[in-house]
Amino acid sequence: MIKIISNNNISYLKAKSNKIKVLKTEIIFTPLLLAFPVIVALLLINDWYCRGFSMGISAFDGELMIAFIILVGNIVFDIPFVRSLIKFRKK
Amino acid sequence: MKKMVDHLKVAKKKITSLDFDAHWYRRVFHAFGASFLIYYLVPSNIAWIRILKFWIPVIIVILVFVLEFLRIKGKIDSGHFFGLRMYEKNRVGSYLFFGLAILLLLIFFPQQIALPCILCACFADPIIGELRLRFGKKKGYVVGFFVCMFFFIVAWYKADLWVVFLVSIIGATGAVVGEMRNFWWIDDDFMIQILPAVLILLLWFAIKIIGVDILPDQIIYPVELMW
Repeated sequence: MIKIISNNNISYLKAKSNKIKVLKTEIIFTPLLLAFPVIVALLLINDWYCRGFSMGISAFDGELMIAFIILVGNIVFDIPFVRSLIKFRKK
Repeated sequence: MKKMVDHLKVAKKKITSLDFDAHWYRRVFHAFGASFLIYYLVPSNIAWIRILKFWIPVIIVILVFVLEFLRIKGKIDSGHFFGLRMYEKNRVGSYLFFGLAILLLLIFFPQQIALPCILCACFADPIIGELRLRFGKKKGYVVGFFVCMFFFIVAWYKADLWVVFLVSIIGATGAVVGEMRNFWWIDDDFMIQILPAVLILLLWFAIKIIGVDILPDQIIYPVELMW
């Protein structure tokens, strides 16, 4: 059975057991939530390297910075999220 | 084949026995929003791609709007929506505001203004939220202000130093005020993006009147396909 929990004082809507199918759909989205930002960051790094760095054009340096912001920003939130998943799976 | 079916059964069992943390799910959802910056990488030099580039984000937001309309009208149970907060039960969910603001920024605002505002909603908002919970409101907003400033500095680093300073101060102030102000009819996920964008747009227009264009070159360049 899937339960929606909260580790702070903010309350979330609780799902009933007959909503499991829909909640599973949400869970299926999880790989997309984790992987897509990384793919976007890698695309930006690739673009910076191909059109900027290898051609000696510094105008593309911003793409590298944005890529790092996306990558680091997502990893920062992905780690506790995945950790919480693993923790509750072990229960 | 039997092995694969068994494997799928085990996976299904694991999924159904999963406890899921809505709190971190919302944070990850926010950070995921930065992926929409791929919009700026999509080629603009081919007509049909340009049409899709406009319509795909619009269609996504329209679908979310319809979904929210049906949920509020009671046609779809709120329980179907994962991670909704209690106050969102009879009100438009914040994810619609979040998506709508990103759409408006992508379509109507120059990239230099839209990009840092989207980053503020994607990263500064969850950072402020976390810090507010752990260390109190004041520290959350102060750190959030500097995080927002950083995003504006990165997006405007090609501009003159005085412009970078001015824009980052105004942008960060707008973002933090947008995050602080709570209205029942509009969400902070909308305000944190639109308020700084409007302030910088006004600043840009105001300075343009005296003949100075402060808008620097864009950060992300669309890929050019040779077809």
